[in-house]
Amino acid sequence: MRLARALVIVPYLVLATLPLGWLALTSFKSYEDTISAHAKFVPGTEAGGARAEGSVKFTATVDAYRKLSQPVAGTTRDFYHYLGNSVLIGLLSTLAAVCLATLCAYGFSRFRIPGTKDWLFFVLSTRFLPPLAVVVPVLIMYRRFGLENTHLGLILLYTSFNLSLAVWLMKGFIDEIPRAFEEAALVDGYQRPAAFLRIIVPQAATGMAVTAVFCLISSWNEFGFAMTLNNYEAKTVPVYFAGLQGNIDGVPWPQIAAGMMIFVAPIVLFTVLVRKHLLRGVTFGTIKQ
Amino acid sequence: MNLFPLLFNVYLSFTNADLSGGPVQLVGARNYTVLFSQAKYANALTTTALFVLLSVSIELVLGFVLALALRDRVPGKPVVLTLLLVPMMLCPVVLSLFWNLILNGHYGVLNQLLSTLHLPQPQWLTDDDLKLVSILLVDVWMWTPFMMLISLAGLNAIPKHIYEAAEIDRAGRFMVFRTITLPMCAPLLGLAVLLRATDALKQFDLVMAITGPNDATTQTLSARIYQVVFRDYKVGLGAAYGVVVLVAVIAVATIFVRYIDTLNRRTGKAQA
Repeated sequence: MRLARALVIVPYLVLATLPLGWLALTSFKSYEDTISAHAKFVPGTEAGGARAEGSVKFTATVDAYRKLSQPVAGTTRDFYHYLGNSVLIGLLSTLAAVCLATLCAYGFSRFRIPGTKDWLFFVLSTRFLPPLAVVVPVLIMYRRFGLENTHLGLILLYTSFNLSLAVWLMKGFIDEIPRAFEEAALVDGYQRPAAFLRIIVPQAATGMAVTAVFCLISSWNEFGFAMTLNNYEAKTVPVYFAGLQGNIDGVPWPQIAAGMMIFVAPIVLFTVLVRKHLLRGVTFGTIKQ
Repeated sequence: MNLFPLLFNVYLSFTNADLSGGPVQLVGARNYTVLFSQAKYANALTTTALFVLLSVSIELVLGFVLALALRDRVPGKPVVLTLLLVPMMLCPVVLSLFWNLILNGHYGVLNQLLSTLHLPQPQWLTDDDLKLVSILLVDVWMWTPFMMLISLAGLNAIPKHIYEAAEIDRAGRFMVFRTITLPMCAPLLGLAVLLRATDALKQFDLVMAITGPNDATTQTLSARIYQVVFRDYKVGLGAAYGVVVLVAVIAVATIFVRYIDTLNRRTGKAQA
């Protein structure tokens, strides 16, 4: 039994982590080494490219990371410009979504609202929609209001599209806070808003942080809307990388890999931080552990 | 912000609007007749259906097997779990761009590994029969952990005493699996399948990154909409496609919500 278990886990683990390992290796290579017909697995430090043709060693270099501050051939801006766009759009939309969702979830959690289930379903339905199915009206609307190719446009869109996840997650977290806490505060003469701010918000802080991480990740990774609404100004990193596909000077793999490393690093960190809440996050809070 | 685009979309689907912004006229149901008579529509529909079916079932089986292997004490379990879960949190389009380098027929590392093992080296990204397989491969890599995570939750929720009772009754291993493990996990597996299916229905990022939107063998519905609206500028027709996808997604989402309701009621009863 033990052997069978190891036979399942070990090969899968190796296969699943290899691509990421390869990404890390690629980011330390020179362009020639990335597209060499003999894969280079072993990083070395010695300089000079005088290696045998079939060698599996390559000379490790941080050139690709250094070159990130220079625009790639055929583009005008460097990687950090697009990273800045991603950070700005991600942070602001997350902040807005979490604040709105906490209020909204508090309402659903504590008051009897006619048709609560229908409202919650409606909120969730936006999450199930394929971006491409609603992109047409959004695009026309954005053109009318001058929101196309702006940061604000994407922030608004991501806020509304993250709200569904955020409301469902926050409702789960607020449901877990005993009503007795705020009832005690209300008896002591607090008004509702004060009770909410002083009692509920501190109690729900962990939940809000977890919700924020999930919202941030989904706007960070979003591609459909970002690509169709913002292909010029306010381009985010995924759209930028996708645009490098047909580059005239060949796809600059080392720089792309280095950029990807920087781009995915915060998400790996967040995944480790919220690993206890992952299940909740990916199932809209329907499974709690 | 959410409702308006939907209604506007339905309106647009009955017009001849185009992306360059000419005068908009109502054209009745013409977009829909065009849509349903297009061979490409049927093609996109089958591609999407095939993709949803294959990706969800492969991920379910793999994820469930992994969860079975990981349910008991395994050395280094937290680390292994976290490592396995990382791919599903990362940006799909960015990672599938990188997969292009891995899968490349000439200098990709996958084919070089295959050649050292003296296996055939197929052209993953250019062979018409394999393009969809490549996209499936990346999708499975990315989303199997999701199935594993939910399966693990299901397995951990089965009370130990049921297994003890089965042991006293001398039930065989297969019998235990078939009559206890599987049925008791089934509700959560159903939930996982529904969530993944709605997600797979939207498939756009991987297709864009790996083959581009206009590839006959991998054009999903989302990619088809992109092609119609942003390459052919036919906004009205694109909106009609959008409406068709919406109906499909809403149907699946309704099943999902009904399902959660029954699930909650059942677990509620079990606790009471």
